[in-house]
Amino acid sequence: MKSIINLILLSIVLFSCTKEVQIDIPGYKENLVIDGSIETGQPPIVLLSTTNNIYSPTNLDAYLEGFISGATVIVSDGTITDTLTEICTDELPAGTEEIAAAFFGIPVEQLVQLHLCAYISTNIVGEVGKTYSLKVIHDGKTYTSSTSIYPPKSLDSLFWKPQGTSTEFGFSWAILSDNTSTTDSYKWETKYISDLTFNKPFNPFFNDKFFNGLTFEFAYDNPMSYDDETFPEDFRGYYRVGDTVVIKFSKIGPKEYNFFEKKYNQLYSGGNPFATPTNIPTNIVGGAFGVWVGYSPTYDTLICKL
Amino acid sequence: MRYILFLLLISTSNFLFSQAKATISGYINDSKDGEAMIGVKVVIPSLNQGAVTNTYGFYSLTVPTGTYDVEYRSGIYPVEIKKIDLTKDVKLNIDLGSNVQDLEEIVVNAKKGENTNSTKMGQIELEMDKIKTLPAFMGEVDVIKTIQLLPGVSSVSEGGQGFYVRGGGPDQNLVLLDEGVVYNAAHLFGFFSVFNADAVKSVNLIKGGMPANFGGRMSSVLEVNMNEGNNKEFKATGGIGAISSRITLEGPIVKNKGSFVISARRTYIDLIMKAAIPDSSPFAGSSYFFYDFNAKFNYKISDKDRIFLSGYYGKDVFNFSDRDGGFNAKMPWGNGIAALRWNHLFSNKLFMNVTGTFSDYQFKFGSQQDQFRFELASGVRDVGAKMDFSYFPNSRHIIKWGANYIFHTFTPTSVSAQTDSVVFNTGAAQKLYSHESALYALDEFDLNKALKFNVGLRYSMYHHVGEFTRFIKGDGISTPDTAIQYGKGDLIKFYHGLEPRVSLRWMLPDKSSIKAGYAYNYQYVHLTSLSAVSLPTDIWYPTTDQAKPESGYQVSVGYFRNFMDDMFETSVEVYYKGMNNLIEFKEGALPGDNVNDNTDNLLVYGTGRAFGIEFYIKKAVGKFTGWIGYTLSKTDRTFPDLNEGKTFAAKYDRRHDLSIVGTYKLNERWVFSTSFVYATGNTLTLPSSWYVQEQSLLFNYGERNSTRMAPYHRLDISATWYDKAYKTKTDPVTGNEIQIKKKFRSNWAFSIYNIYSRANPFFLYVDNDGDFLSGDFKISVKQVSLFPIIPSVTWNFEL
Repeated sequence: MKSIINLILLSIVLFSCTKEVQIDIPGYKENLVIDGSIETGQPPIVLLSTTNNIYSPTNLDAYLEGFISGATVIVSDGTITDTLTEICTDELPAGTEEIAAAFFGIPVEQLVQLHLCAYISTNIVGEVGKTYSLKVIHDGKTYTSSTSIYPPKSLDSLFWKPQGTSTEFGFSWAILSDNTSTTDSYKWETKYISDLTFNKPFNPFFNDKFFNGLTFEFAYDNPMSYDDETFPEDFRGYYRVGDTVVIKFSKIGPKEYNFFEKKYNQLYSGGNPFATPTNIPTNIVGGAFGVWVGYSPTYDTLICKL
Repeated sequence: MRYILFLLLISTSNFLFSQAKATISGYINDSKDGEAMIGVKVVIPSLNQGAVTNTYGFYSLTVPTGTYDVEYRSGIYPVEIKKIDLTKDVKLNIDLGSNVQDLEEIVVNAKKGENTNSTKMGQIELEMDKIKTLPAFMGEVDVIKTIQLLPGVSSVSEGGQGFYVRGGGPDQNLVLLDEGVVYNAAHLFGFFSVFNADAVKSVNLIKGGMPANFGGRMSSVLEVNMNEGNNKEFKATGGIGAISSRITLEGPIVKNKGSFVISARRTYIDLIMKAAIPDSSPFAGSSYFFYDFNAKFNYKISDKDRIFLSGYYGKDVFNFSDRDGGFNAKMPWGNGIAALRWNHLFSNKLFMNVTGTFSDYQFKFGSQQDQFRFELASGVRDVGAKMDFSYFPNSRHIIKWGANYIFHTFTPTSVSAQTDSVVFNTGAAQKLYSHESALYALDEFDLNKALKFNVGLRYSMYHHVGEFTRFIKGDGISTPDTAIQYGKGDLIKFYHGLEPRVSLRWMLPDKSSIKAGYAYNYQYVHLTSLSAVSLPTDIWYPTTDQAKPESGYQVSVGYFRNFMDDMFETSVEVYYKGMNNLIEFKEGALPGDNVNDNTDNLLVYGTGRAFGIEFYIKKAVGKFTGWIGYTLSKTDRTFPDLNEGKTFAAKYDRRHDLSIVGTYKLNERWVFSTSFVYATGNTLTLPSSWYVQEQSLLFNYGERNSTRMAPYHRLDISATWYDKAYKTKTDPVTGNEIQIKKKFRSNWAFSIYNIYSRANPFFLYVDNDGDFLSGDFKISVKQVSLFPIIPSVTWNFEL
C-alpha cells in the first residue's frame, strides 16, 4: 500500500512546484538515542547520542556534539555483568582505525582527529542462544533493554545471474529454505572479498511473513557500485562478472526487526505526508530512541560467474 | 416507544376537529422537456397553505372544500395560477411553462421565502444553471467544488473532491446518485468529481438536521439526481474542453410517456502527456485517463405507476512504466451504480417509492518488476432495497415512513505476489459480509402558524455475518496468535440503535425565523486512510465484532431573515457535534496483506467534537446574484492510543473559512462570475527532531497535527459568451422580419483559476540534502503547491 501511495505522490510532484518555507514545528523534546549491537563472536558496542531540534545546526560539529560521553553502560549475559569501557577515536588501538571509521561512517583521517566515544565490553563476546540485557544510566535516568542471539540460518545457495540482455552485470541471488515453525527476520550485508567492512543494500532487512516455510529465490543489489565510477551509469546496483563478494546473512529478533522495518519505511517514504507520520518504535524501555540488537550471522562467498 | 406515541399524538391531533375536505394532487413537469420538477410550491394564498413537489414531481394538498386560486411557483417560470373548484378530490398534472415564449427574459427567485419558512436547517439546494456559469477548474463544471464554497463545508485540499461538513470526516457524507450510494465521488486522485454536470438535474446538500429518512452517515447527505431525459423531442448537448469532452443524448422512448438520457465523458490527459513528455523522460511510459457514463430511462406505466432505471459507470486508469520497462504498474479504480425505482400512487394522499440499488467500488493495483509480480485489490459492493411512503393527510402534515436494507460485501485488501517459481503466502483474500437495515417514520407538521416541526425516529440495525476468520494477535513471544472461524451466514455481532431527529422552525415577524435541530446518527461503514489527503488507496472497512459503529449527535440553532422582498437571504447558525468510535490506524500500522491478521487489528478508536458558527448572505435575484459564506469553527479528536492520549486538532480543522461568489448577467450574451476563497491552513504532523542511527538520519514526529500550513486563498473568474438565441428571417407571406428560435445553440466558457497565481500549500515535508562530512548538510521544510494560474476554455453546445 505504501508503494502505491508513493507512486501517486511521485506523479503529483511531477506536476507541482516546491519551495522552502519557514514554519513553526512545536513539540521538540531532547531524548537519548541508544545505538547498540552484539553479534556472535564480537563484543557488545554501544553509541549514545541525543536528538536534535529539526531547525538546529546540521554541520559536522553539531553532529559530533550530540555524542554522549561519561554515561554508565552495563551489559549482562545472565552470568557475566560488565560495565562497558568508553573508547574514544583519539586513542584507538593501532590497526583498528579503519574498522572504527566504517562503524562511525567517517573517513579515517578525520576520525582520528576527533574525540568520538563508543562503549565496548572487554569481558563479553556474543554467543548463540544467549540473551543480553542492557542498562544505560545517564543524567540520572536509567534505560533498559534486552536482545538475543538466535541460532543462525544459512542460505541454501548463492549465485550470480546476468540481468536482461547484459552478459556482464547482474544481481546476487540466493535460495533460502525458511523454517516453518518460527517467525524469522533477516539482515543481508555484502562486501568485496578484499574489503574490511560490510555494506548494506537498498533495504537489508526482511522477514518471512510472506514465505514462511517456503524455499524461494531472491535477489539483492550491489551497494558498493553506487559510488563506483568504474560502473557504467545504467549498471549501478549490479555486480560485475568476475567479482568475488562475501555475503553476511544474519538472523535477528522480531522486536528488533520491527525497529528496522519502520526505520527503512521512514527512510524511503521521505517523511511524505501521504503516509501516516510514524515514529520508529524502540525495544528500549525508559524513553530513549534507538535499538539494542543481537545479530546471528553466517558468511558465504560468491564468485560472480556463469 | 415514547417517540412513536408522540408522533401518533401529534399526527392525529389535526383530525379530531376536521371539516369536509378535498385533495388536489398530481405531478408537475416541465413543459419544455417533460422533466419532473422538484421543489415546486403549490400554494393556496387565501388559506395560507401549500405543498411542495417531491423528488418525482408529485404533490398532494388537502384543504377544506371550496373554490380557490391555486398558485404553482416553480422559480423557473412565472407563477401559474389555476382556479379550481375543489368540491371533491382533484387530480391535476401540470406542465409548467407552456405559456412562456422566452425563458431567458424570466428573472424570478427560485426559492422565495423558503429560507425562513421551511424547517430545513443547514440544507442547500444548488441550481445547476448557476453552477454552470461559475468559474470551473480546467473548464470542468463541478458540483462538489461548488458545494465546497458553502459555509460549513470545506475541501480536503487543493482541488480535492473530498469534502468535510461541520468537522466530520469525508466518509461521514452520504453521497447518493439517484439513491445509489457513491463510495468514491472523485476522479484523478480527487481533482474532479464523478458527477458529469450535463447529466445532473439537481443537487441537495443536508449538512445539519438530517431527516429520519436518511441514515448510515453521521455528517451530511449529498443527494444528486440525474436528468430524466426529454420526453418531447430528441436533443444532444455536449462540450469540448481543455482536458475532456462530453456528450449527452436524450429523447422520448414513447412521447410524453417515457424518455432516456445517456451521457458520456472522457479525458484526454493521456494523449496530452504522451505529446508533452519526451521519450527520454523517466515518466515516458506513464499515462492517465478517466471516463464515465451515465444513463437513465423512465417510463410512465399508468397514471399511478412510473419506473426509473439509472446507471453510472466510471473508471480512472493510471499507468506507470519506467524508461527501460523494468518496472511497470497499472492502477484502475472506479464506481458502478445502478438504481431501479418504482413510483406508485395508492391514492391521492399516499405516495410510494420502491428502489433496488446496486453500488460497487473497486480499486486495483498491479505491478511487475522483472520476474516479480504483485497485485492488490480493495473494494465494496452493496446490493440493497428500500421502500419509502409519503402520506399527505392534510395541508399541515407530511408523514413519511419506510424501510431500507443493504447487503454489504467488503474486500478491504486482497494481495497476491509471485515470482516465476514461487507464489508468496499473502493470506487468503478476506471478504466481510454484513446486513445493514433501518426503519423510520417522520412527521413534518405545523403546530400553529408560527411553529413547524419535523419529528422523526430511525431504528437502525447491523449484522456482521460470516464467512469470516477472526485473528486474535498474541504478543509474539509467550501468547501465540489464534483464530476463530465463522461459517457462511453465522451471526458474529449485532448492533442496533435508535436515532431520534427533531427540527423546528419558529416564524417571527418581519420575515425572520428561528430554527433548531437535533439529530443522532449511527454509521456502520468507515473509511480508513493512511494518508493526509483522500486517495483511492483509502480503504472502506465495515463495522465488525471488533470495529464498533461510529455514532454522533449534532445540535444546531439558527436565525434566518430575508430582506428587501426576499432579495437578500441571510442566516446565522451555530452547531455542536459530538462523535464516538471514530477510527484511525495505529501509529506505524502498515496494512497491505492478510497474513493471519484482520485490518481492524490495526485500528484504534477515539472521540471527536466540532463546533462553530456560520454566517451566510445570499442575493438570490437580479442581474447580480451570489453569496458570502463565513464559518468560524474548531474540530478536534481524542484517541487514547494516539498522541499520548492528548486531544489534537483534526487534520481539516479550519478556524476561518470564507467564500465569496458572484455572478453578473450583463445581457443575453454575456455572464461573468467570480469566486474567492480564504481558509485557515490545514494541520499536519511534521518531524520536530532528528537523530542518527547506524549513519542514517531519522526523524521523530512531534505532537499530532501540531503544525499548520499557510492560509489558503484563491480568486477565480469566468466569462460565458452565448450565441444569439434567435435568427432573423423574412416571412415569405408577409415580407416582415421574424425571429426564429435557433435549434443549435452554443456558448464559450472562459475561466481563469487562481488568477493571482497564489502558491497555496498542498502539503509540506521535511527534506534533507548533502552530508555531514562535507559540511553542506541541510534540513529544510518544503512546501509543495499544485496549481498556479490556469486559464481554460470550453465550448458547449446543444442541439
